Amino acid sequence: MKKMVRYGVFLLIVAFLAYNSVYFKKLDEVKAGTASFNAAKYAKEFWAKKLTPSLSKSAETGQLLSLLRTDKDKAFKDHANALGIGNIKYFLIKGTGKVTDVEENQVLFRLESGAEKPEMRIATEYVFGNAVRDASGTIDINEFSNSMDFNNVSAEINEIIRENVIPPFKSKVKKGDVIEFTGAIELNQEHLKLDNIEIIPISLKIRDL
Amino acid sequence: MKFLKPVSILFYAIVALTFAGCRSKNGAEEPKKMAIVVSTLNNPWFVFLAERAQAKAKELGYESKVFDSQNNTALETDHFENAMASGYDAILFNPTDADGSIVNVKNATAAGVPVFCMDREVNSNEAATSQILSDSYSGCVSIARYFVETLNKKGKYVEILGMVGDNNTWNRSKGFHSVVDHYPGLKMVAQQSADFDRNKAMEVLESILQAQPDIDAVFCGNDAMAMGAYQALVAAGKADKVKVFGFDGAEDVVNSIKDGKIMATGMQFPEVMAQTAANFADEYFKGKRDFPKKMPVAVELVVKGNIENYAAYGKKE
Repeated sequence: MKKMVRYGVFLLIVAFLAYNSVYFKKLDEVKAGTASFNAAKYAKEFWAKKLTPSLSKSAETGQLLSLLRTDKDKAFKDHANALGIGNIKYFLIKGTGKVTDVEENQVLFRLESGAEKPEMRIATEYVFGNAVRDASGTIDINEFSNSMDFNNVSAEINEIIRENVIPPFKSKVKKGDVIEFTGAIELNQEHLKLDNIEIIPISLKIRDL
Repeated sequence: MKFLKPVSILFYAIVALTFAGCRSKNGAEEPKKMAIVVSTLNNPWFVFLAERAQAKAKELGYESKVFDSQNNTALETDHFENAMASGYDAILFNPTDADGSIVNVKNATAAGVPVFCMDREVNSNEAATSQILSDSYSGCVSIARYFVETLNKKGKYVEILGMVGDNNTWNRSKGFHSVVDHYPGLKMVAQQSADFDRNKAMEVLESILQAQPDIDAVFCGNDAMAMGAYQALVAAGKADKVKVFGFDGAEDVVNSIKDGKIMATGMQFPEVMAQTAANFADEYFKGKRDFPKKMPVAVELVVKGNIENYAAYGKKE
């Protein structure tokens, strides 16, 4: 009888140790980032308190493009922002233009400017990446203990654009419209390409004629 | 007088030894040493990272030694203890596990040895002196956009993940899904880990292909796995139909993009990360203490259309 009790206790200890040594976690839970961080709320506040006030400092697109052609280093030094090292940099820009085509994934327009007047694209489908988050230079990666949280902020900012900025514009815009925009662009400083630049929009307005 | 002589000899000997001891400990002639602790040397990308860190340390005038953690956090702990016991003055570190490696970093910094993380992150802003990390998320956002455009917003695909304990695995996956999940026509039929390993990726995809023979694309969390996946597709006679996407900018994938075998990769810049880490350690030795806790390094999309701008590991031709 004593032996049975001893075996029972032994088995209980083994079961207890085994149960506490192994745990299973869904892959989705691993992916989630810090549970306490609310990226959507952060993005909303960032948009209202940091990004919107920064728009007044946006570069005039035509002038920026001219400067990029004549003095690339100065253009990047004066107007670009990036959170780290590398060739990819972001610019906050503004301007007006005349719509030349409305396509499935983008709206094409001819820039109206005293300087350069290239054809450019406003992304209406592929609104992704960190251009809008990083272009204003008002966000600090070191505020975030986990880079997943920081990345989630980008996704939420893009969601605001997808939900609030693009639909009212896309539903009305047509060829020939004159538009006013602010937005963010991504350029590669080492391998600079100035044709066919894509703008991630922050604000879009169709001018009343 | 006679009896004083041995006492004075002893006195001078003690003084001489004391000064000699002080000089060897504080003197400028003993160079500082950097330990380079790398998650694995079983992947050429990390070999390159370690080599570049070692080369930069040498260029700056420091001794260094590379420690291979073999993707084993316990072994990594041993390396940290050995490095500290052997008097290394800084650790250039590529962690095995974002959470599991924190304690090693904390122990080293508590012992006054600064730690500079390269490429992989630990989940603590307080632990390391600085973390120099690839912006994997943004790199995979660019890859994913190209993925969606190439597949014309529809098709079945497989995702092969890296090590589940590594933040880069999830930053890449999340960057990829932050784009692809907006397209209901793109259906992920399998998602499995192959631990960033070429052979494992080949086995994983071979087994997935048994159940899912009609896939259109494979997205892999690194280039080694992309090459493994490509091998599995060649063996199954599907290499021409299924599009493979990687991440890293490894030599064989850069060549495969040129040949049209692999569609795209995200070019990381291990040399930039290794050099920045070594420079930071050098600045630390010279008295600087104010380092950015995180320093992201941009990742660039490499496709057949821009391949002329890139060489393996972000090297310039």
